[in-house]
Amino acid sequence: MSSLAELTIVEAGKKMAAGEITAVDLAHACLENVEKKNKELNAYIEVFADVLEQAQKADERRKAGENHPLLGIPLAIKDNILIEGRVASAASKMLEHYVATYDATVIKKLREAGAVFVGRTNMDEFAMGGSTEHSAFGPAKNPHDPTRVPGGSSGGSIAAVAAHMALGALGTDTGGSVREPASFCGVVGMKPTYGAVSRSGLMAMGSSLDQAGPVAKTVEDTQLIYDAIKGIDPLDSTSIADGFYPAGIRNKKVGVPRALLAQGVDPDVKERFETSLEKLKAQGYEIVDIEIPSASLALACYYIIMPAEASTNLARYDGIRYGLSRKGATLAEDYAESRAEGFGPEVRRRIMLGTYVLSAGYYDAYYGKATAAREVLRREFAEALKGVEVITTPTAPAPAPKIGEKADPLSMYLLDIFTVTANLTGNPAISVPMGMVKRESAELPVGFQLTAAHGDEQALFEVGKALQ
Amino acid sequence: MVSIEDIRGLAQLARLKLAGAEEESLQKDISSILDYVGQVSAVSVSSEKEKPLLRNVMREDITTEVLGAREDLVKAFPTREGDFNVVRKIIQKDE
Repeated sequence: MSSLAELTIVEAGKKMAAGEITAVDLAHACLENVEKKNKELNAYIEVFADVLEQAQKADERRKAGENHPLLGIPLAIKDNILIEGRVASAASKMLEHYVATYDATVIKKLREAGAVFVGRTNMDEFAMGGSTEHSAFGPAKNPHDPTRVPGGSSGGSIAAVAAHMALGALGTDTGGSVREPASFCGVVGMKPTYGAVSRSGLMAMGSSLDQAGPVAKTVEDTQLIYDAIKGIDPLDSTSIADGFYPAGIRNKKVGVPRALLAQGVDPDVKERFETSLEKLKAQGYEIVDIEIPSASLALACYYIIMPAEASTNLARYDGIRYGLSRKGATLAEDYAESRAEGFGPEVRRRIMLGTYVLSAGYYDAYYGKATAAREVLRREFAEALKGVEVITTPTAPAPAPKIGEKADPLSMYLLDIFTVTANLTGNPAISVPMGMVKRESAELPVGFQLTAAHGDEQALFEVGKALQ
Repeated sequence: MVSIEDIRGLAQLARLKLAGAEEESLQKDISSILDYVGQVSAVSVSSEKEKPLLRNVMREDITTEVLGAREDLVKAFPTREGDFNVVRKIIQKDE
């Protein structure tokens, strides 16, 4: 029999409820795979020492009558989400020894549900990147081809699920950081509506863009994790309750922004995309062309707003209260040296870029314009979603690149072209596997992205299930 | 093209100490990224006058819950004397 770690969350839950397996069995199965694969894939930065004890507790809770769908399910947690008493480093030297002093709200909710935390996963430092190459603890690798990146920034969480080292995971998505690696590794990854999931206890990168998102092998499993973590939270003033937005329409129409796909998408990725559209057609969906005239501006807009917010958020890491601390001759040097040593090159680059676009004389030309473009984009999406249930694109224009292939930062940023939009507009979006493409001798997965109206995660799950 | 002086000025604003080689590579990277993101200048001004959909959401200025035990927060100080965080003297007497 294949490993228990290959079960879906739904299947594992049924087997546990029936008494066929225990949470401890599941934890053992995941740890076995960690033992076999993590050295090569570098998906986990740390595997927790108490996984089996956590699983044992979950089994006791089940015996006492509890039956939450995530009870006893082993999950991987991205290293920028706080778990009280454990190190949370954001894969940065800056926070290498930082111990979280409280639980993020998403962690508190998963703990109440009885999930088992396997470990903290590798990522691009402070979630800045699309490949998990920018980790202070070495790159994570793609389980389908270890010479390639798993995507990022939640690459460790996604690789852990794809390689059956956990049944599901949490990542964070600021510009595609859950969906793009899900596409590269052949799993499901979702970014909820902005505000649907509390950001309390997530390390802030772009505060108007960040959302924690679930990762799993199927849409059903993704939905289970999402249901467990969502909800309004007094600790995040931007969080919203169910029903905050009006209900999305149901007309069995799926929109395709054809103009956006006209160039820059690999031909075989486009073929898989068309095949998936045919699959939806066969199930009664009507495929319609839509126009989002400003969509081509999304990436430029994102790479102004994100660094502006990130450079502001990262100002807190100054070596004074916590984190890496170096002493120079003056206070200014204390800051400059702590930050130079604590932050890696990509983080320094984005801090510099953010500082530039916010500086006097450039603010109106960059940040002001980007904010205006974001408004236009949001209106265009809202308009388009009055006529269709979901908007679809490939998740990324290409499959996973080789490690080191995208050394030029701009070429790496271009992989985010289809994912950043949902972060700018706040819409929920999901990546669902749409088949494989061949590069050299490797078969590589690619993802199909669905975007729905604000608050209409249900549409993502419904149409997403039709694609499986 | 951003100048090397601009890069040095930005590094100072951002409180980052940069090595010479990094100044040059940042000059190149930031210039090419700015060329790309400059596309947003195409956005028309009229659209900027509409009522914004995005707004700041502030919470009430009251304590709801204290996150983290005091002792755990104190433990994270880089240099500690008792329960105090040791910081550099900022205001100094004129010599």
